[in-house]
Amino acid sequence: MKLTLKALLKSPWVFHLSTGSCNNCDIEILDCLTPRFDIERFGMLLAPSIKHADVLLVTGSCNRKSAIRLKRLYEQAPKPCLVVAIGECSLSRGMFIHSYNCPLPLDKIIPVDAYIPGCPPKPEAIIAGAVKLIQKIKGNV
Amino acid sequence: MTREEILNDLKKRFKNDIIDLLDKSPKRVYIEIKPESLVKVATYIFKDLEARFNIASGVDARTHIEILYHFSIEYLNVLISLRVKLDRKNPAIDSLAQVFKGANWIEREMYELLGIDFRGHPDLRRLLLADEWPEGVYPLRSDYKEWDKKAIRDRGV
Repeated sequence: MKLTLKALLKSPWVFHLSTGSCNNCDIEILDCLTPRFDIERFGMLLAPSIKHADVLLVTGSCNRKSAIRLKRLYEQAPKPCLVVAIGECSLSRGMFIHSYNCPLPLDKIIPVDAYIPGCPPKPEAIIAGAVKLIQKIKGNV
Repeated sequence: MTREEILNDLKKRFKNDIIDLLDKSPKRVYIEIKPESLVKVATYIFKDLEARFNIASGVDARTHIEILYHFSIEYLNVLISLRVKLDRKNPAIDSLAQVFKGANWIEREMYELLGIDFRGHPDLRRLLLADEWPEGVYPLRSDYKEWDKKAIRDRGV
């Protein structure tokens, strides 16, 4: 494993991007930060800028306008940057698959490392997804 | 004025413009008017009856395209919807953006999604659609066909 990835796993900073979601997944992500789940004790912190982040969390079905912004954000992210898709919309666009404004799923736009399904996924599922992502980078999966 | 007085007043004042008045419930009234008299009736409801312009909604109804302009009169708790029916081939109507500014953006949205031409609109250009969207393709029309050859419409399983 590269040193940059090893350093990243100790405390992955997370940037949260909503590409036109219904905000339900975003609420569940915020739930992870509340005292009940408190994902910050594992070093995961919401970063205010993509330039400080190691992980890009994406919610929502990417529409034609936000896909451009998503690509631009991914280009600005310091590499290695891990991408996590949260919720059915960003996995496969869910009920918006035939929408005129959502032509492509997320993983055809940028490479995705972990998928967390659910509509919305529970905070437990998001934490399990984070654990799986770290195990995957370590090469245990 | 009470609710009945306002409705009778509208019927009498615009008897040549109103096609149909549907008194649906104590809170909802639908008034179908001729498209050419929209500005006259809407100005009266907005300025003289002091109604609030809530929103307008465009519907593609296959035989025609209709627009509903929703006005609420708050001291009576009544929602008045002005209904206009437009020709489906070449939908066009006078703009209300000169009368009240709230109509500006919703008319731009109906223009890009349904292809309705608003005559006299100060700035009729796209509001929400992406830049690469082709001209003359209106996504909320019932005869909309996919134009994007690169779009993927299956889940890959």
